[in-house]
Amino acid sequence: MLKTRLSKILALIFFFALIMGPGPGLYLVNPSHDNPCSTTFLGMPILFAWSSFWFFVQAGVVLVAYRKLWAKSDNLEE
Amino acid sequence: MNNFRILAATDTAVGHLPHFMLGGYMLLLVWLCYLGYRKGKATEEDYYLAGRGQGTIVTSLTIMATFFSSAALLGIPGVVYRDGISFFLFALNLPVAGAAIYLLGDRMRKLGKARGYVTPADLVGDYYGGAEVRLLAAATSALYVLPYVIMQIKAGGYLAQRLFPDAPPLEFFGSSFTMYETGVWALSFLTMAYVLVGGMRSVAWTDVIQGILLIFGMLVAGLATIAYFGGLGGYFEAVSALPAKALSAPGYSDKWNAGMLFTICAFASLGSIIQPGQWMRFYAAKDSGTLRKSALVFAVVLPVCFLFGIMLVALGGQVLFPPEITAEGIIPHPSIGAKSSEVDQIVIVMIQRVVPEMLGITFGAIVVTLILIAVLAASMSTADSNLHALSAVLTRDVYDRFIRPQADERERTWVGRIVIVLATMAAVALVEWSQKAGAFNPLELISQLMLLAIAFSSQLLPIAIDVLFLNKGSRQGAIAGLTSGIGLVLLLTIKPEWSFGLTKIVHVSAVGIAANAIVFGFVSRVTKKVPQKRIDEFRRIIKAKG
Repeated sequence: MLKTRLSKILALIFFFALIMGPGPGLYLVNPSHDNPCSTTFLGMPILFAWSSFWFFVQAGVVLVAYRKLWAKSDNLEE
Repeated sequence: MNNFRILAATDTAVGHLPHFMLGGYMLLLVWLCYLGYRKGKATEEDYYLAGRGQGTIVTSLTIMATFFSSAALLGIPGVVYRDGISFFLFALNLPVAGAAIYLLGDRMRKLGKARGYVTPADLVGDYYGGAEVRLLAAATSALYVLPYVIMQIKAGGYLAQRLFPDAPPLEFFGSSFTMYETGVWALSFLTMAYVLVGGMRSVAWTDVIQGILLIFGMLVAGLATIAYFGGLGGYFEAVSALPAKALSAPGYSDKWNAGMLFTICAFASLGSIIQPGQWMRFYAAKDSGTLRKSALVFAVVLPVCFLFGIMLVALGGQVLFPPEITAEGIIPHPSIGAKSSEVDQIVIVMIQRVVPEMLGITFGAIVVTLILIAVLAASMSTADSNLHALSAVLTRDVYDRFIRPQADERERTWVGRIVIVLATMAAVALVEWSQKAGAFNPLELISQLMLLAIAFSSQLLPIAIDVLFLNKGSRQGAIAGLTSGIGLVLLLTIKPEWSFGLTKIVHVSAVGIAANAIVFGFVSRVTKKVPQKRIDEFRRIIKAKG
């Protein structure tokens, strides 16, 4: 499954998005008593902006995989 | 105007149009059920997998509609309303599940087509050999299905309560049924009927209509909420003024820390995409391209519906109907409900407030009705898939193997139908009991039921990965791993204090998967591997075209 360079890079980015989005990375921006950073970013609640950003990263990875990896593997099989 | 009486108010504005729309939706389902029945053949493969020929539109929408349970429109928004914005990060499990549709699903499909599988247990039982793995996989599937069907049926009750708030109890054969009970029975009966008659084809076709309604409902509800606050700027300004606890993790209930959210996104997502109903949809897909496109649509469209649709509605609900934080817990605003479990109703209350404001009473009432029908569709599309899957599991994995191996295809299909009736009755009885239960009520919150069901189905993950990718496990390893995983999830669900706080940091599905995988790996190392000939045959099928 992770045979090509691109597949490895995409898997790495996807996993990184999981670590950063819902994972421990969220504490970088989470407004709390220990981390009294701003609760908003460009007028949006910061956790909303954070989840949207990492969603776009994940969706981008799936899109690239769909176009560059999955279609190719189907064609190779055929 | 009272928030809950929009439909009643439309009696003067648009007559009984909303009620006719609800009736029309149900008639449409009956018609699709009839069409499915007419087109179907009297074979097991056709009843359970629609002849393995489902194309992209049907496959992608049936996978989405099955995934979109009542939790999507009631339970998950309920958690956002109760706990705040931290639960938005839950939506990041959806691209993971989406990618798995192709990465796992296509391999399952190829094996299913080549070796005639119908249920998940067919695949793992055939690979590892022996009856035990098949029985354990069937038990895992059944443990997933029952809580899921129960929560869909509950949603039917909630919806009926909200649609007809002033309706008196219905008298039927000398018994009196409240609106909640009427909704529970109506949803169960209709769903049961079209699954019974049309099998997978009817289920999938109704899922197409339901999937479209769901996407429409989630996005329009989100748009209406934003419009109610005067646009995106007004919306964000209003929600940014919520208390800091609502805008940060772990939220009001202190549940949604990074460990919990990460393990849900990484593991529970995979558990929910390999639930028996979805697994059977992979078998039913026509080809690799179908699943590839379905994976992309799922990974992109579903998170958009959550993040930019229904979750915005629930967060806006915190502004309009602030919950009360008490020593006993989080109590919803009186307009939402009196009990903490009634946070699940936030979307129903919100759309009845915000949609008519945006679209006016008449058109607003029509759109509100469509969204309420979408809530109903969410419940029905998941209940039907799960009842259908349970029927396949109990018939093929239990009845056919252990009770009457000599049964022919026709007999098995009829037994499957009896299973559907019995499972529906059992689920209705449990919901009725839950409604009348006192302090101890394990079925209270829809979101809790969803996460419990997913924790069970996740236990199939280690052996699924082994069969599809690794080929390192043994039959004894699979038995030991599954037993440990299911046992641990059951134990920690009944006695969460026995996890010594672990299940407060990570989701119980991840604890179960970790125990399952460790035991599976260790036992597989010291026992006899699956015969190389079988491994080679499976690898050959996976690598083959089509």
